[in-house]
Amino acid sequence: MSAYVDQFPAEARIVRAAFWSSFIALGVGGLLGLVQVLHRTDVVRFMSGADYYTVLTLHGVLLAITFTIFFLVGIFTWAITTSLDRGLENLRFTWLWYGLMSVGTVLAAIPILAGFVGSVDMSASVLFTFYAPMQAHPLFYLGLTIFVVGTWLAGADWFRTWLVWKREHPDERIPLPTFMVLTTMLFWYLSSLGVALSILLFLLPWSLGIWEQVNALLTRTLFWYFGHAVVYFWLMPAYMMWYLMLPKISGGKLFSDPLARVVFVLFLILSTPTGIHHQYLDPGIAEGFKFIVMTNTFFLLLPSLLTAFTVVASMEHGARQRGGTGYFGWLKALPWRDPIFTGMALAGLMFAAAGFSGMINAGMNINYLVHNTFWVVGHFHLTVGTAVALTFMAASYWFIPQVTGKRLWNKSVALWQVLLWFVGMTFMSNAMHRAGLLGVPRRTAEPQYAGFEFEAGLGSVAELDAQIALGGTLLFVSVVLFLANVVMTAVGDRIDDLPDNEYADTLSGADDAPLVLDNLKLWTAIAVVLVILAYTLPLLSIIDRGGVFGPGGGAFPMVAESLRLVVVAAVDAGVIG
Amino acid sequence: MTELEREIGHDEYDPIGTLALIAVYSAILVVMWLFMYFVEFLGNDLTVVGVIG
Repeated sequence: MSAYVDQFPAEARIVRAAFWSSFIALGVGGLLGLVQVLHRTDVVRFMSGADYYTVLTLHGVLLAITFTIFFLVGIFTWAITTSLDRGLENLRFTWLWYGLMSVGTVLAAIPILAGFVGSVDMSASVLFTFYAPMQAHPLFYLGLTIFVVGTWLAGADWFRTWLVWKREHPDERIPLPTFMVLTTMLFWYLSSLGVALSILLFLLPWSLGIWEQVNALLTRTLFWYFGHAVVYFWLMPAYMMWYLMLPKISGGKLFSDPLARVVFVLFLILSTPTGIHHQYLDPGIAEGFKFIVMTNTFFLLLPSLLTAFTVVASMEHGARQRGGTGYFGWLKALPWRDPIFTGMALAGLMFAAAGFSGMINAGMNINYLVHNTFWVVGHFHLTVGTAVALTFMAASYWFIPQVTGKRLWNKSVALWQVLLWFVGMTFMSNAMHRAGLLGVPRRTAEPQYAGFEFEAGLGSVAELDAQIALGGTLLFVSVVLFLANVVMTAVGDRIDDLPDNEYADTLSGADDAPLVLDNLKLWTAIAVVLVILAYTLPLLSIIDRGGVFGPGGGAFPMVAESLRLVVVAAVDAGVIG
Repeated sequence: MTELEREIGHDEYDPIGTLALIAVYSAILVVMWLFMYFVEFLGNDLTVVGVIG
């Protein structure tokens, strides 16, 4: 055995490229997070309220899409090549999908950034949730499409590698890391189809002026068809790290390979037919459909609870092998000085808290209490903002040496960095949840109103704002420490004594898993049937009521109108036509 | 990698600590859910139609 960069030098290059793309997004997105948190809490306001939404869009898109997905294509490439013990089939194809993802990101970022420049008639301040009637410049939709096509080709690359491996190993079980990648990509294909349809059939032609208006509820429903499943696209790679890395770093073995397979199969089946739970307050979707979706959503707690059990049991196995004893005493035997372990373990702990606020979001009646409030922002900063982001950062401390062949610059800084993230997020997220309970809205630049005060039962709004500003600042410092550490690592010298490229062994291995778990066609078919059951009637009823193209209301801002003016002006000036 | 004091195989391993942690977590979930439903949800006025002005 040896380090990844020595085993697969060409693939290590692509993983490095994906990581750097991801880290650039993290740096810019993190800085915008700081700007936002200080503006909202009225600590420092140096831009207009309107620019806040441009900042919010860029923060959301860069962190939720670019940072997460670039990172995950890196570790998925690692997982496929390491567990199948073979390189990718055609590296030109690999660079093609990486290139498409990069070009797509840049194209989507241009109109968002142009939103800051008043003299350029181009903007895309539509937030990460880019459904109608908010309208972006066509370039934004085009960029997103190219990015998503890049991820589809990445999936094809991994499937192809697996199929070639399978021909050579007809009787072997799919290795667990590969199994995780394949199931995750299958539901990504299924769920991203919704956003592809939304963009290609409606939003892009609408922004080009081909359609006069679109059915706003239809584009919302198609967005959330993708918008909930995408959270599992971020989360599954984090789960993969918890299953494959945490047991090993803890000094133990993965408790159960079959349970891990069951979890990923459940996510493949259940992650998509749940999107309407983001629309509990939408008029135009009948209560009965919402109830079905709520039921699906609560079933989805099952694989996360299975994960909590399996991952904690694997850590406990390590702790007991290291001499830990007692009901709780074993926790002391875990390697808390290792930033990789501590980062991932704290991310898991935060995810347990997120499980609670997620249950509140998922309940149809209690959801009315928190819908569209700051609570929801607190919730997803625990999930994607910590369970995923902190796991990725902690995992980077293992991956960056593996793919560069260099020693981690500073382990103590890394440990402080993950702790700082945990502390910062505790302040920020907890205060956001509490503010949400008071009714403080989300997606609002200046949430203070003349003649109205939010009443805090405990503490005060000023205290909550102070905690949010403090937390946000600590998180930004944590991002800076992280980036400094990975950059300094990358510029260091090559070393020869890197740990081997390995992942956790299992207590109960693949041979104990029923063969049917590896039947990807069966699970995909069930997933498709569930999607058809959950979505056919709601979509038909939305179209039946409003038509395919309405009711939509006027687009905001009127991009198509301004484009028409440009064309008319160009024709008048004799430039074209 | 860390030095291990003992090797624990599949059959000797009994994840009792995991059970203890999950029991604590479940208790927290139940208490917080009861608080959210009975105090915050039923105990408050409508949040969507607040009194302004």
